[in-house]
Amino acid sequence: MAPCDTDWVVLLSTTGPGHEAALAKLHGLLLKAVRHQVLQMYGRLPTIGVVRVDELINQAADEAMVAVLGKLSTFQGRSKFSTWAYKFGILYAAVEVRRSMWRHWDVDLASVPEQPGHGLVPEEEAEGAELSVAIREGLEKALTPHQRRVLIALLIDDVPIDVLADRLGTSRNALYKTLHDARGRLRRYLTQAGFLGEPTSRVIP
Amino acid sequence: MTPARRVTTQELLGRLTFSAEPWMSCDECFEAVDGYVEMLLAEAPDSIPGLRAHLAACSACLEECRSLLLLAAADAGVDPGRALERLGNA
Repeated sequence: MAPCDTDWVVLLSTTGPGHEAALAKLHGLLLKAVRHQVLQMYGRLPTIGVVRVDELINQAADEAMVAVLGKLSTFQGRSKFSTWAYKFGILYAAVEVRRSMWRHWDVDLASVPEQPGHGLVPEEEAEGAELSVAIREGLEKALTPHQRRVLIALLIDDVPIDVLADRLGTSRNALYKTLHDARGRLRRYLTQAGFLGEPTSRVIP
Repeated sequence: MTPARRVTTQELLGRLTFSAEPWMSCDECFEAVDGYVEMLLAEAPDSIPGLRAHLAACSACLEECRSLLLLAAADAGVDPGRALERLGNA
């Protein structure tokens, strides 16, 4: 039987009776979350073999375990303990799978494509030629080289944010901030150029 | 070499200029996502607008949130359909 939510923190923080059992149960929760996440992304995993998948699962669960134990004091009971712990397993598994997916792909960080919209559907490109030019000019004029590189990698080349963070020696958090700022600059440029109205946004009902 | 992908000009414009306001970082999203998932499963009103804006703008955080929602729903023995539908609008 799993401890109740308040007991989890006590049992995991102190080396008294029940500590070892709580550690084992926590590891079980994290393995469950990691396996769940790997299954969710399995179709995108390259053919790496059962042994490597098993290694990936165990590595992610172990890293998640260290993270959970290090963050125990931040658990405030806003969710069930299991849901709180699962998010660590899911995060570490997702990052590992994304790294595996891109292990053999280069990420071109040295140059900006001459046509930033190089993935456009041809007929759309013809119809939106003016807009395409404006986007290209916005990328060149409104953004810093770093912002341009990040925006193109994440939003045009579809490089996962964790993979790009690894290649640039930074974090998901820092890259998201760069992306957010770059989108704002490009939005302002295209609004002033008459290509955008109100900001694009969606709402969860 | 990178994987090729085709998009329309309008889709590209939407992606490149998406406004995720109010601001929330990936770290803040991670802090709050477990409570958010349980809130969605309980069909409670959305009380974290910064998080929903972040999820609409960050595909990695959205993917992980959706996965957490499915796992929490399975644990609780509830249908994730409505919560997924709400999340799908992020």
